[in-house]
Amino acid sequence: MLNGIFRKIIGKGGDSSKDVAKKRLKFALVYDRLDVSDDVLEDLQRDIVEVISRYFEIDKDGLSLDIRESGDLSALVLNTPILSKRRDTS
Amino acid sequence: MKGKIVVITSGKGGVGKTTATASIGSALALEGNRVLLVDMDIGLRNLDVVMGLENRIVFNIVDIVKGKCKIGQAAIKDRRIDNLFLIPASQSDNKDVITPEEMIRLAEKLREEFDFILMDCPAGIEKGFENAVVAADEAVVICAPEVSSIRDADRIIGLLFSKSITPKLVVNRIVPEMVERGDMLSHEDVVDVLSIDLIGLVEMDDQVVVSANMGTPPVLQKNSKAGGAFRRIAMRLNGNEDLPLVVPQVPNRFWKKLGRKIGLGK
Ligand SMILES: Nc1ncnc2c1ncn2[C@@H]1O[C@H](COP(=O)(O)OP(=O)(O)OP(=O)(O)O)[C@@H](O)[C@H]1O
Ligand SMILES: [Mg+2]
Repeated sequence: MLNGIFRKIIGKGGDSSKDVAKKRLKFALVYDRLDVSDDVLEDLQRDIVEVISRYFEIDKDGLSLDIRESGDLSALVLNTPILSKRRDTS
Repeated sequence: MKGKIVVITSGKGGVGKTTATASIGSALALEGNRVLLVDMDIGLRNLDVVMGLENRIVFNIVDIVKGKCKIGQAAIKDRRIDNLFLIPASQSDNKDVITPEEMIRLAEKLREEFDFILMDCPAGIEKGFENAVVAADEAVVICAPEVSSIRDADRIIGLLFSKSITPKLVVNRIVPEMVERGDMLSHEDVVDVLSIDLIGLVEMDDQVVVSANMGTPPVLQKNSKAGGAFRRIAMRLNGNEDLPLVVPQVPNRFWKKLGRKIGLGK
């Protein structure tokens, strides 16, 4: 323990192997715990496309849905090129 | 009598389920409970050899479930510890010869005859796990401080929660020197990741291998650190929930060096 604290104080050597292990674990578990099947992700993507399409014209093939690490959290990241704003139809 | 069924499980193989079952069960019996150990690892039985009872097997768990014998005929009585019994697994069957319904029925009978019934679960999350867990009242998850073991433990914990069981955690195979160096996850790290309550910390102990060689559970071995840790886990399971956790420590170097200087030890 002292060893670890010392390493942190002098800021040398970077993360110890257990810090790496812990980070990797936390990230792996986010996926595991979500327990989302590809089917679910596909359904989700289809629904999201439908909703966004009401407001924007988007490139459906250029759309990607991902789970990513951002800082300490995991984020659901949706990326879609917007072609144009939908005209008001009313 | 209305006994408790406790399943000892881990997900990943080889992290110490069988060792823990043998030790915790022996310790519970030494405390005066009537204890039954059940080897649910059908096809890969091991609890019998860890307990040193392999020469006395006549019937097994499958025989009981299929009505070929009575519980009392299959349960081997330990001669060293009073009130300790083992029902061995069958070696020649598949894990799916027993159904969950049959386990539930058997469990009802076992609860009438024993205070504690410890189920030594096979590795994995398939049929064997299902059978070991289906009738359990409580669960102890064994986990080593390694990425793969913790990940599998997380999966198992999720499955147990979905069966309305709140498992308790044992971190086994702790090497204090490595934890100190930052090369092994500490028990705090493991708990931080898994977020369940600890029931014990067991260090890596050569005595465990010696015990396994001899067929005597580590709790019977004097000076076994792991044995002591398992005894404390048994006390906690036995209602002594506030017993403080003992964290494995690096042996005191000063005394070790001094010992060497004056010619004691290595
Ligand atoms: N605390 C410990 N210190 C040293 N060795 C240990 C410890 N715990 C377990 N072992 C050793 O690790 C090996 C695996 O243990 P064990 O058979 O209890 O694991 P298991 O989870 O039951 O395995 P399986 O999944 O194959 O059933 C054995 O050789 C055992 O002696
Ligand atoms: Mg085993």
